[in-house]
Amino acid sequence: MHPAVALLVFALVCAALVVVLWPQKGVIARLSRFRRLEERVLIEDTLKHLYNCEYTGRRATEESLAGFLGMSQGPAVRLLSRLEALGFLRFEELEPILTKEGRTYALRVLRTHRLWERYLADRTGVDPVEWHAEADRREHTLTRDEAEGLASRLGHPLYDPHGDPIPTATGEIPPMTGQPLATLEEGAIARIVHLEDEPPELFQEIVAAGLGPGMRLRLLDTSLDAVYFEADGRDHRMSPAVASRITVEPIEQEIELPTDTLADLDEGEMGRVLGISPACQGPARRRLLDLGVVPGTEIRAEFMSTTGDPVAYRIRGALIALRRDQAALIGIAPAEAVTAPVDPQPGRGPAEATARRAVAGEA
Amino acid sequence: MALTSSAPCHGCATSRDEALIQLGVSPGRFDHLVALGGNPNTGKSTVFNALTGLRQHTGNWPGKTVARAEGTYSYEELRFKLVDLPGTYSLQAGSPDEEVARDFVLFGQPDVTVVVVDATRLERNLNLVLQILEITDRAVVCLNLIDEARRHGIAVDERKLEAELGIPVVPTVARSGVGIPELREAIHRIATGQVSSRPYRIADYPPDVEGAVGQLVPVIRETFPELPNTRWVALRLLNKDERVEEAVRTGEIGQLATDASAVAVSLSTGRGGARTEPRRPGEPDASSHTEASIRTAGSLALAEGPTVEAAPGEPVLRKTAQLRWQLGPEFHDAVMGRFYDSAQGIADRVSAKGLRKAKFDLDRALDRVFTNRWMGFPVMLLMLAAVFWITIAGANAPSGLLATLLIDNLHPVLQGFGAAIALPGWLSGLLFDGVYLATAWVVAVMLPPMAIFFPLFTLLEDFGYLPRVAFNLDSLFRRAGAHGKQALTMCMGFGCNAAGVVSTRVIDSPRERLIAIITNNFSLCNGRWPTQILIATIFIGTLVPAHWAGLVSATAVVGVALLGVFAMFVASWFLSRTMLRGEATTFSLELPPYRPPRLLQTLYTSLIDRTLIVLWRAVVFAAPAGAVIWLVSNISVGGASLAEHFISWADPFGILLGLNGVILLAYVVAIPANEIVIPTVLMLTVLTSAALMGVGEGAGVMFELESAGDVGEMLRGAGWTTLTGANLMLFSLLHNPCSTTLYTIYKETGSARWTVVSALLPLIMGFALCFVVAQVWRLLA
Repeated sequence: MHPAVALLVFALVCAALVVVLWPQKGVIARLSRFRRLEERVLIEDTLKHLYNCEYTGRRATEESLAGFLGMSQGPAVRLLSRLEALGFLRFEELEPILTKEGRTYALRVLRTHRLWERYLADRTGVDPVEWHAEADRREHTLTRDEAEGLASRLGHPLYDPHGDPIPTATGEIPPMTGQPLATLEEGAIARIVHLEDEPPELFQEIVAAGLGPGMRLRLLDTSLDAVYFEADGRDHRMSPAVASRITVEPIEQEIELPTDTLADLDEGEMGRVLGISPACQGPARRRLLDLGVVPGTEIRAEFMSTTGDPVAYRIRGALIALRRDQAALIGIAPAEAVTAPVDPQPGRGPAEATARRAVAGEA
Repeated sequence: MALTSSAPCHGCATSRDEALIQLGVSPGRFDHLVALGGNPNTGKSTVFNALTGLRQHTGNWPGKTVARAEGTYSYEELRFKLVDLPGTYSLQAGSPDEEVARDFVLFGQPDVTVVVVDATRLERNLNLVLQILEITDRAVVCLNLIDEARRHGIAVDERKLEAELGIPVVPTVARSGVGIPELREAIHRIATGQVSSRPYRIADYPPDVEGAVGQLVPVIRETFPELPNTRWVALRLLNKDERVEEAVRTGEIGQLATDASAVAVSLSTGRGGARTEPRRPGEPDASSHTEASIRTAGSLALAEGPTVEAAPGEPVLRKTAQLRWQLGPEFHDAVMGRFYDSAQGIADRVSAKGLRKAKFDLDRALDRVFTNRWMGFPVMLLMLAAVFWITIAGANAPSGLLATLLIDNLHPVLQGFGAAIALPGWLSGLLFDGVYLATAWVVAVMLPPMAIFFPLFTLLEDFGYLPRVAFNLDSLFRRAGAHGKQALTMCMGFGCNAAGVVSTRVIDSPRERLIAIITNNFSLCNGRWPTQILIATIFIGTLVPAHWAGLVSATAVVGVALLGVFAMFVASWFLSRTMLRGEATTFSLELPPYRPPRLLQTLYTSLIDRTLIVLWRAVVFAAPAGAVIWLVSNISVGGASLAEHFISWADPFGILLGLNGVILLAYVVAIPANEIVIPTVLMLTVLTSAALMGVGEGAGVMFELESAGDVGEMLRGAGWTTLTGANLMLFSLLHNPCSTTLYTIYKETGSARWTVVSALLPLIMGFALCFVVAQVWRLLA
């Protein structure tokens, strides 16, 4: 065979493999998405959509359903009548309303979805932006008993990683609380209770900003085109569209918010840990806690590596290297005692004790 | 203490024995069982060696790839069995190491748990002590490295520490044996119950935690009235500890309580419990499902199904589930915070720092050099180059000596012996020309470099330099989705890939560890260096004038090794973004204080733990390969040997790749060891080439020629070109790992899937690269 021909054949084979195997856009990925159009998947997704509308007080229509499922209106109308025939919904003045059976079923799907999100957050390294899509795919694959098995393995979690409550096995779910971020008063402190994970583009921005449920923030300023706030020792600026996807609950009493993160320390500087960001979950968080990164710990940045990342920190006597993206998840305040060598009770002021309790136990 | 209760139960001791069998300890051959725990880098293994001497053996924990060591010693005519637990910061069971340590202390119920504590890092170490004291009362603190503490101007009042903790504290300098007799005495006193301990227990958790614990404890007491550490069990349940949950559900935890009382009763009779009953077959490993939770990440085994009904602990679990709603999501943080707070409080009360102003901080000075922006990398390259140079230079002579002895001298003797006892020709050929020769070759090539490289590497590790290398290189590896410590496992791979794969245990994050395992094969191991050097000398060096030949061929070999490093980064990047995307990942890297390495101990452990084990595995695989090589060359079908059939069949494919059929067959039959590739190639070349009749030793007998020039002439005579040589060098770098390494990968990952990936990924890369190089070469030539 002529070498040029051989190379050409080789290139074609490679191209074919890429077309077949490419994630998300390849043939295999498309085929597996095609499978989603199975009836069970469609019914469950419809129930989920209707339930979401009911929970958030929006009106569900054929258009909204067609938009949600990415199909035209004709099939959406047929789908709704199919569900009516199954007894999952009834029409009141042309608005589809869930029946009791329909709501129970929808809650079960929602439970499986949020359990999977919890699983992805706690037990895997899947990127936060992909949790929702991955859970969407997996939520239809479990039987009821399997979902309960998953719940027990995860220790019967109460909230999904976006801060939403997971419906109980018997279908109970607390009502929605909190208010949109932009409605806070200036200077008010609040805790994030929910992050809307749809549409993914806006959620991506929230994730990129390092925000997560449970995180405390202080609103600094709002204007027509931006919302300014500080959270976990960093200042944020967000467009109102993104900020409207963040639901918060105001905190009444005054607590100490981190002024910096560990990543802001220069060589030789010292900081006092106020808490690990709730954006840090699962094994990564457990590891930091085991290393002694707990509220009240004083940490000194000792020296950088040759390339500047990671940085070696003195944590409770040991020299531990952490990467900058990890250090940026640890909220700190200025250290109180600047290395007093023989101090019977270093770093134990009453103010600090309050702060520590606030950060650790308040949630 | 709850140990002073009721009558002994029937079969109690056997149930502990069963637990011990599951934990890999054979009961009955000792009077007292002692566990040795502690943080990493506290000199724990030095304490272990000081206590047991050489009466120890090493292995793995059952079902885990966590190394364990156990040993025995006698004291006051009692036999003590010492089990070394993995070094951990905590017992929260977040990693396999922590799980192993926690399970052993809880379910193995050692008579004494010795916690080794670094006196210079008291606060951090006390955290683990406090966690162990939550589980067991029977503990001794070994306050190690007090000499180092003194040098740093730190004083620890061990009497006061003893009073605070409520258990014996023995100051030691394990390195020089100071305090070891006292430690033995303290262990003896606790084991025989001569002293009773009143261990420190953390009381004041945050109000919501206290509230939940307060409500849960009575329920546990009601179900398991004799359980001594109810508060701890309550905390673990609230913290959703699966193993403890399982133990409560099945009632196993209640069994522990009755066992404990049995021990208490037997203590009063002065003996360490009736542990001489016959052993029973162990039940399925109870910890396997927790392990699975770490292993299976992408796919989830849901075999457990719904909870078992009417199990003894069910009311406790129901109450736990109820109470968990009242606790905040940061419950675990709060509990860990309390441990560290208490540890800090105790450390502050019993120690004083800054008593002496350190004139010169050696650690800091060394770190300034090793992690310096300008000097860091040059120093590192210099160190590694030195290690490699010492290895190559030092191994040359002993390798030649071994080859002369085993191959040139002993082989003819064996052949003569075979003839003398009138062994049939085929049997003599199979045994001496096949099995013996392959094994001898592997030993001669492999043993000397490994016996030099591994101890050197271990010395750098013990000194504390290697973690700094990982620290410096981490940002490079992070971009490829890997862990900085992969730099170390990769270096280890330059010695031997199988040893490199085992060494990935230092990487504690599941995803990064898998990446390091799968890509270790891209490090050119010492079995492949000779091939590279020989082929480069023959085919690359001869392209330039003679006085440049040495330099050019050396550059070519180093270039291939660097290409391997590059391929490792590419493969890591690819794996972390595709197949391994979903695996869990964490990062942390402790930079231990610099300590002068211990020469003898290092020599001993690296010889036993690394060199001999790897060599043994290689020999086990090489022997059958020798038999196969001899058989394919000597079994004839239709007038030609199997080897010739395969070669003429595979030749077109080989030519397409710029190789040939001989090379492909050599790589198939020499899977067990890269060391025998060249001898096999030579033997097969002679076998298939009429022009070379009479060269070598006969069909199926591997050989090497005296000079590279002779080999070159012979290979060129058989139709080899510069392209064949260059592609052989590439293929020797990029092909499936040897079977020893594959077996090790299977053992370490426990997964056939990852073993197959490790085999196919480099093979496909090798085929593709050789193919492209061959076609482009022919296009340009």
